[in-house]
Amino acid sequence: MSLKTDKREFGERTADGIGNTFMRSAVSSAQDSLKTRRLTAATALGDWEAWRLVGQTIRQHTLKNLDFYLNQLADNIEARGGHIYFAATKEEASSYIRDVVVSKQARKIVKSKSMVTEEIEMNKVLIEAGCDLIETDLGEYILQIDDWDPPSHIVAPALHKDRNQIKRVFTEKLGYTGDESPEKLARHARAVLRQKFLEADVGITGCNFAVANMGAINLVTNEGNGDLTAAIPKTQIAVMGMERIVPTMEEMEVLDNLLCRSAVGQKLTSYITVMGPKAPGESDGPDEFHLVVVDNGRSEILGSEFNEALQCIRCGACLNVCPIYRHIGGHAYGSIYPGPIGAVITPLLGGYDDYKELPFASSLCGACTDVCPVKIPLHEQLIMHRQNIVKEKRTGAADRFQMKAASRLLSSPSLFGKVLRLANPGSRMMSKHGRIVRGPGLIQGWVGVRDLNQPVKQADSFRTWMKERQGGTKQ
Amino acid sequence: MTTKNKNNNRESFLNRVASSLGRERPYNVQRPDIKSMMPDSYGTLTGADLIDILKEQCFFIHTQLIESTPEILQQTLDDLIAANGGGSVITSGDSRFACYDLSFQGSTEWSEAAGREENISRSETANTVVVFADYVLAESGTIVVESRPDQGRALHFLPEHYIAIIERERIVLRSTQAAAALNRRIEAGEPVGSSINFISGPSNSADIEMQLVVGVHGPLRATYVLI
Repeated sequence: MSLKTDKREFGERTADGIGNTFMRSAVSSAQDSLKTRRLTAATALGDWEAWRLVGQTIRQHTLKNLDFYLNQLADNIEARGGHIYFAATKEEASSYIRDVVVSKQARKIVKSKSMVTEEIEMNKVLIEAGCDLIETDLGEYILQIDDWDPPSHIVAPALHKDRNQIKRVFTEKLGYTGDESPEKLARHARAVLRQKFLEADVGITGCNFAVANMGAINLVTNEGNGDLTAAIPKTQIAVMGMERIVPTMEEMEVLDNLLCRSAVGQKLTSYITVMGPKAPGESDGPDEFHLVVVDNGRSEILGSEFNEALQCIRCGACLNVCPIYRHIGGHAYGSIYPGPIGAVITPLLGGYDDYKELPFASSLCGACTDVCPVKIPLHEQLIMHRQNIVKEKRTGAADRFQMKAASRLLSSPSLFGKVLRLANPGSRMMSKHGRIVRGPGLIQGWVGVRDLNQPVKQADSFRTWMKERQGGTKQ
Repeated sequence: MTTKNKNNNRESFLNRVASSLGRERPYNVQRPDIKSMMPDSYGTLTGADLIDILKEQCFFIHTQLIESTPEILQQTLDDLIAANGGGSVITSGDSRFACYDLSFQGSTEWSEAAGREENISRSETANTVVVFADYVLAESGTIVVESRPDQGRALHFLPEHYIAIIERERIVLRSTQAAAALNRRIEAGEPVGSSINFISGPSNSADIEMQLVVGVHGPLRATYVLI
């Protein structure tokens, strides 16, 4: 998996999503349940807005002093006997990880969920190096055994699959003989994966937040796979985006509360762990601990107009309220980061060439901004992207022509009045039973999915009506 | 390896970050005073209130909470272990097991002397694990434990049934208090375990159709025993 999950055009991807009624019903019921759970958990904390402000303050302070905290983190990791590596690019990151694995002559790797390892294409590099790599998060494991189906949600990666599809994959790939109950499927995965944990040479984890003054990383999970990954193998490699750091456990505690409540509506998830290299006298945990800090385009976002996007704590709350995500689903974004935050950061990490459509996949309703626990102005950042994309003339020539025509039309009252008079007769060919059913360019885009009434005759128009009744001034 | 690794790109990486931020590298940074910004939820809560909050939360996290006393603790634990299928028991090497005069038939212990493989194998074959909580967070139903030579990481995750003994005086309202206490130790330069675990009930997942499954990679069941 890389940042890019689908090579097809945006239009094809969205058409696929909109046509997939199963996926759409799975997404909408997941959204509804996660939205309610988030709201209940946020309300239970009391004064959610005050907590959001603390979250925003912590994230902005850390970003503003990122070099200081990363330096402190590095000192403390090394003081604890761990290794830290700073990777400017995804290639540097994944080759470092491959070199560590090769130097340990390791073949068996267990991995817990991490978005940044997808971004740096680590799995591909390790599998090409001959490693037997197993995703141990239940959702990720389901995707892996289904021939590496891409994730469709940041928190619930297999959201687009139902229990029958999962049962079919388990039966085909694992010789599973039980029924489609989630308990039985999960219990089967537990038994298969338990053995993998016990045999693994290397464990690879992500990192929700690195804790600078401890030289440690914080993992927030529910299944217990992250902790087993960091307990049993003799070598652990943790991978983090460079912005995922807090000064101390006190800030971590605030962000973990915001994260758990926003992501899954839990006060705290089952397992929140702060971990580092094994200490003297302890029996388990990694003898050798590596932390890989990944830039991969982030330093260009830092200090730019999109700086606030780096505040993201990957809770997925913005996906859960997004009307666009609801209809097109996660795969349509063609990125491992879908939804509103994906539409902001994917073009920043992957460039406008490949992702110029994503900022337009929004109704700009602002629900994402309202729900963000660290107050990223998501819809405003989408508008900034749109402005850049238009400025750089990246929209199609036909789009540009239509926008120019619309702008000329809408800024001239006399021209607008004239066109209005022609609108009814002019749209007759395109209409059926008072509705426009086909049309050129942007009109077709609209009527393909929505109703558009045919403009009324001049004699029936509001302006005529107004003039007759109140003697309004002539335009 | 405690010497600075010269080939880890640290300086060039951090210099690039500083240049993105449009300034020199800072040598000292003052943390923002978040404590004054945080809503105070503690108010006038008493110890009894905290127990009520804990009990209610345990219901939501699928964790059984049993009230016991030091006098009948052994009996409570024996009954619990039997009710969960008996089998072998592993404990941490916590000195409180001796303080409360606890012992379990045929039990093993996580110990420094046993080493990695043996400790992991003992945990993997045990049906039940019994540990003592260091802090207890009422609001989230969380126990906090720290890795030590006599209490490993895998101990909390491999057995099917997890029992944590909670001494009343260790209950605080929420994670804020535990994080502050731990950070005070860190700032004072005291050693802390290489793994600090905040555990809230049994392992679970909602990865299949968002339906909650209790018991995935870690324990299938969790019980707190309050004394």
